[in-house]
Amino acid sequence: MTLTLTQKGETVEESKILEKGEIAEDEIVVPCCDAANDAGSVVVASDFTLYYGSKVGVKNINMKIYPQRVTAIIGPSGCGKSTFLRSINRMNDLIPHVRTTGCLAVNGQDIYDKRVNLVNLRQQVGMVFQKPNPFAKSIYDNVAYGPKLQGMRNRVQLDEIVEESLNQAALWDEVKDDLKKSALALSGGQQQRLCIARALATKPQVLLMDEPCSALDPIATTKIEDLIGQLKSRYTIVIVTHNMQQAARVSENTAFFCLGELIEYDETGKIFTNPRVKQTEDYITGRFG
Amino acid sequence: MKRDVNRHISDKVFTGVSGGAIILLCCVLLLVLTPMFVRGASAVLFYGTVEFRKMQLELPIFDRGDAEEVDAEVAQALDARQEAFDILARFREGLDTSILRDQAREMNRAYGDYLRTLNLDRAEYRARRQAVRDIRDGFEAALASSDNAVADELLLGVAEQLAAVDLGGTPAEGFVGLVEEYQEIVARMDLSKREQYAAALDEVQEALRGLFGPLPGEAIPPLAMNQYGATRWSRVKSELDNLLWAEEWREVTPGEPLEKVRIARTEQFAGTELADMFGLIENNIEAMMLPRFTFYWQYFIDDSTPGHYFGGVGPEILGTFLLTLIAMAFSVPLGIISAAYLVECAGDNVVIRVIRTCINTLAGVPSIVFGLFGLAFFVLFLLPVFGLGSQKSILAGGMTLAILVLPVIIRASEEAIRSVPRSYKEASLALGAGNFRTFVTVTLPAALPGILTGIILSLSRAAGETAPILFTGAVALGPIAKSILQPTRALSYGSYDMAVGDRLSALVPHQQYGMVMTLILLVLCLNVIAIVIRSKVSKKLRGY
Repeated sequence: MTLTLTQKGETVEESKILEKGEIAEDEIVVPCCDAANDAGSVVVASDFTLYYGSKVGVKNINMKIYPQRVTAIIGPSGCGKSTFLRSINRMNDLIPHVRTTGCLAVNGQDIYDKRVNLVNLRQQVGMVFQKPNPFAKSIYDNVAYGPKLQGMRNRVQLDEIVEESLNQAALWDEVKDDLKKSALALSGGQQQRLCIARALATKPQVLLMDEPCSALDPIATTKIEDLIGQLKSRYTIVIVTHNMQQAARVSENTAFFCLGELIEYDETGKIFTNPRVKQTEDYITGRFG
Repeated sequence: MKRDVNRHISDKVFTGVSGGAIILLCCVLLLVLTPMFVRGASAVLFYGTVEFRKMQLELPIFDRGDAEEVDAEVAQALDARQEAFDILARFREGLDTSILRDQAREMNRAYGDYLRTLNLDRAEYRARRQAVRDIRDGFEAALASSDNAVADELLLGVAEQLAAVDLGGTPAEGFVGLVEEYQEIVARMDLSKREQYAAALDEVQEALRGLFGPLPGEAIPPLAMNQYGATRWSRVKSELDNLLWAEEWREVTPGEPLEKVRIARTEQFAGTELADMFGLIENNIEAMMLPRFTFYWQYFIDDSTPGHYFGGVGPEILGTFLLTLIAMAFSVPLGIISAAYLVECAGDNVVIRVIRTCINTLAGVPSIVFGLFGLAFFVLFLLPVFGLGSQKSILAGGMTLAILVLPVIIRASEEAIRSVPRSYKEASLALGAGNFRTFVTVTLPAALPGILTGIILSLSRAAGETAPILFTGAVALGPIAKSILQPTRALSYGSYDMAVGDRLSALVPHQQYGMVMTLILLVLCLNVIAIVIRSKVSKKLRGY
């Protein structure tokens, strides 16, 4: 890791080439490996390994996630799919004694570099959690939280962003009359869509979803799935799910994780109809374990 | 089947025991608070006498009431008292013969001067001078005698001598009147009991002063508490009891220790004209004191005379409020920041564990230790360092209280912050917020109800503690503080001081109970405010 860092140091100047608008000009973009420069993908993992202390979370992941698509990650419990998802916006940093090796790049930039601005990264890679977790604030303030963090104070602009985000999250029509109401007064499904709207308000490029429907009833789940279908034209979505039907319904690509390793990664159709690896087939057909 | 029955019984028992515990708790609370409030209420609700209204009008710290009305009442009461005062004055004359003796001596001296102006020859001058001297000596002997028969005989002798000498027109002619006056007194009074009367009369006069204030002809005493009689009906009753009953230690059964016996004053002064006074006062006490139901709400804002003899607890309330406010101003921010550090930033290493243990230990340290620490650190060290006087002050007292309640606030805040769901913090962090921002905008509001619970607990503690402010901020007497660099009176310390202080608290028990009641009410008010704030906050958090 240290060795790659020194190599990175030499390539700083030439790597200021990314055309992403959100990244400030003095932002240091550091490609960590050749694979990261693949223009066709947004998130690139190469030999990415994460340890919780001495325990391995995920091991030698090599994976490319493509833009404007839904990528589903499936696998049995404890296989590291959530760990990998949370690695993409470095939410694992909250857990003590976590360290990583290998490379995980977003837009060609190694996000585990020490010089990476976490705030920018997380605004670029939004996240929706398993349980709806709106803040104990009004609906408006929940959505405006991210933009306000970016320093936006203009009321008109904020109003626009809130409306746009709630519209994208298919919640606007239901809440437009009481934006000042507490977010906690909403139903579970509405709360989850509010969380999605909140994540969208920072205009991220990638949206990570960690089992977004597991706490919801079937009707709310359908709504969220429809929403994912609408959002994928504008965002790169990575969704972790336990529900294989859901993965089959919403995703273009599917990755199967087992015991911290990426077993198979392919187009969803192929994974579910004609998996290459025996383990995948066993899991999908329910014969696993 | 049997298991079902057992379960049913154990459930019932559990419910019963829990209910019983709650009821017991309520009973204890009632048992403690009810007498406190009932007796404390007597500071505010009582029957005030004319003396109370006079005191309220005259003392400059109160200056309250309609002057004309009060003056009329005072005159009316004085009218009713006058007869008793007259009886007392006459009795005192018989007891204290010095007035008669002085009059006799004065007359004798004046008679000598008069004789010298007549230019009599030596023999006649001597004879006439000697005659009056003999009369005077006889009269003084009669005054000094403590036997009625002897005194009577002596007086008769004097009267004969007077009859023999013609003193008409001379300065000594008043002797006739004096002798007659004393003869009357001797006829009424048992002279052998004169010393006994004198001691008892002191007690009677003391009781009368307690009832009516300074007696007619006496100088106005310097202390406000002695300038007025009984201001409350309850005090009137106890002073009246002192007036009507004497207490004596007597040997009731031979060989046994002495017992206290109550003797009616009428019995003590039987046969004298003073015996009538007691019945007179007892029967007309209402006319003499004019009691009226009084709602003295100003008790909570009034200053008091030294020793809390008259007046209220205004400065004490203000002082307690300020001390608590300053304690909270220091301890709340410090406590929350410390708790935030312990939860959010500090890892779990040996140093942090030691710090946690220290905080828990601090919470159990006796408050007097904090008081001494406050004296050593704030008063003697820190204030002089900042160029302020090394003296008791509200600031030092407040800071000492802040240290006292800090562990409680830290622990409560720590628990509250720790119990905020991680998903809350993650949601904020995932949006790109920093740790500080997340703490201030998300974690802190969510933890606020728990933190407020800690604040409520420590608020009551800070308001009620005595030991920490004993050396650092509180005084029992003194002016109202003009800045936080001066010491203040406080409810807790005031109650303590009255309890250990002097005989005054026995005379004004209502002040002590009133102070304690006020303290409880103040803490209750502060708690209610804090609880209302907390319920508002949690309501917002729950989203209704």
